[in-house]
Amino acid sequence: MNNGSVIELENVSKDYRRGSETVHALRDVSLAVTPGEYVAVVGHSGSGKTTLMNIMGCLDRPSRGRVILDGQEVHEKTEAGLTRLRRSAIGFVFQQFFLIPTLSVLENVSLPSLFVGKPSNGRAGELLEMVGLGNRLHHLPNQLSGGEMQRVAIARSLINAPPILLADEPTGNLDSRNADMIMKIFEQLNQEGVTVVVVTHNQDIVKRCRRKVHIEDGRIET
Amino acid sequence: MSFLKVALSNLRRNPVRSLLTGLSLAVSAATLSVVLSLDQGYSSAVTDDLVNNTGVHLYITKEGCPIEAASVIAQGGLSPLYVEEDIVTRIQGMPELDAVMPFKLFAVTTDDGSRTDIFMGVTEAVRSIKPDWRFAAGGWFTSDDSVILGAEMARIEYLAVGDRMYSEHFDREFVVSGLLERNYSQDDGTFFLPLHTAQAMVGREGKLSAVAIKLNDISNMDYIQTRLRAMMPPDYFIIGSKELSDGILEFFGATRAIMFVMVAVAFVISVFGIINTMLMAVLERRREIAYLKCVGAGKYDLIRLISLETAAIAVMGSTFGAAVGMLLSPLSGNLLRKFLVAYVPSGAIARPDMGIALTAFALCTFIGVACSLYPAFRAAKIVPMEVLRNE
Repeated sequence: MNNGSVIELENVSKDYRRGSETVHALRDVSLAVTPGEYVAVVGHSGSGKTTLMNIMGCLDRPSRGRVILDGQEVHEKTEAGLTRLRRSAIGFVFQQFFLIPTLSVLENVSLPSLFVGKPSNGRAGELLEMVGLGNRLHHLPNQLSGGEMQRVAIARSLINAPPILLADEPTGNLDSRNADMIMKIFEQLNQEGVTVVVVTHNQDIVKRCRRKVHIEDGRIET
Repeated sequence: MSFLKVALSNLRRNPVRSLLTGLSLAVSAATLSVVLSLDQGYSSAVTDDLVNNTGVHLYITKEGCPIEAASVIAQGGLSPLYVEEDIVTRIQGMPELDAVMPFKLFAVTTDDGSRTDIFMGVTEAVRSIKPDWRFAAGGWFTSDDSVILGAEMARIEYLAVGDRMYSEHFDREFVVSGLLERNYSQDDGTFFLPLHTAQAMVGREGKLSAVAIKLNDISNMDYIQTRLRAMMPPDYFIIGSKELSDGILEFFGATRAIMFVMVAVAFVISVFGIINTMLMAVLERRREIAYLKCVGAGKYDLIRLISLETAAIAVMGSTFGAAVGMLLSPLSGNLLRKFLVAYVPSGAIARPDMGIALTAFALCTFIGVACSLYPAFRAAKIVPMEVLRNE
């Protein structure tokens, strides 16, 4: 295991109860992601991709095994500790954009900075410039296209300057032109040092990532 | 960007629902303001009438419920309780008493029930026992057929000194000898007659409704009460004006209880309305709340956000409701006056003030915010991974 990893999973398993049945979503998974990597996590539906991302993102705890994120042992953390870790270390981008419809684009982007007690419209404006939406700061989300909304969501995920960006099917709702634009932003962020992990079905995206992790039946296939 | 701004923006998502929730709290605040105004107003009006605005410290009455007697009189009857006039001569020489006023009180209601006139037979002692009993025109009775009109009766009857007033009920004509200045007590609505004339009109010669007593030194009240009780027949009451006022207010207690039950019902409806609205708001936004948790919103951030949303609705609804309550209070006072039977005070029955408005505002806002806690905790307990995976 690489000690310089920004994300480190060691023999991680995750079981769920579904009625009387136990679902083994992850089985003895070990994975290390080093700073600045650009990783695609691929696999069929139900293979355990999203569970893996939730565990990497501290949204869920493993049933067994260790998770070390940004140098910190996840299993030792309280719920509040995990929240603090998510605030500082991880940016999330989902297939749905989850923008607040009554807040402007600028306000949506600066929203996560409110939770760290340092609301920052200045940085939000810079990030929106970076994703090419500097001229749409005061628009409402319903005045944007799908691609623009996802770019706002990316800007929002970066407001607290996290070293890791986790994206779950970020282009799932977009046409190919917008998907390409989103991937270019990810590539640019990665070049600037952000570790990017993308969960996807899309082979075009997989080809653009520098590393591919294939997961099947809860196991990572080498 | 602040939590308040985010909370206010969330209220704009469903403005009709926010408005209706605010209105339900406004109804509670308005009801509470009106009821508090009536409660405070009626107590003050009765105390003003019977304690503050009269020089009477004690009454001698016949044993029985004085409230019931007041009720009978107010409905146009003749109280079955009376005291003998000869007790006046027995107590008149007592040095501790400043004035002794025997009186005969009765009321006459028209056949259709549309009007009740109150008649009070008095002696000249009324002038020393009622400090604000002053003539605006004319003066004391000039004959057994004289009448002195309270200010409101003079206005209604449109009579001046020297005019003749015919009473159809008694088939008797009176001459107006004096008109009183308005003193905002029951005197304004009363016809004053010579005591013996009033007694004769209802066939109760030598009988009194009660005797009112003014003391030289009010600190002697208990001692004088004990002495008078010893001098009176065993079935006579010596009752302080404060006790009388308290008795009437106790009688009003049932009405008061009903009013507060109305307030409680309004509050219960509001509470369920707010909890329901905020729960819906939380359930509709589960995915968004889950996302906020993903990006670092802690449990207390979400509780703060949902509570601020409710607080904003509560502040707006309570302010509006308290203001409307203040405006409606005088109208409800007039309405209540029509239904009161035990004792109808002469002053304003509803007395809204800033203290009442602030109480209604503060209580309704507090309840509104308290109602947000359950939905807020539900929001805080959302597990993002479960919501994002399953919905």
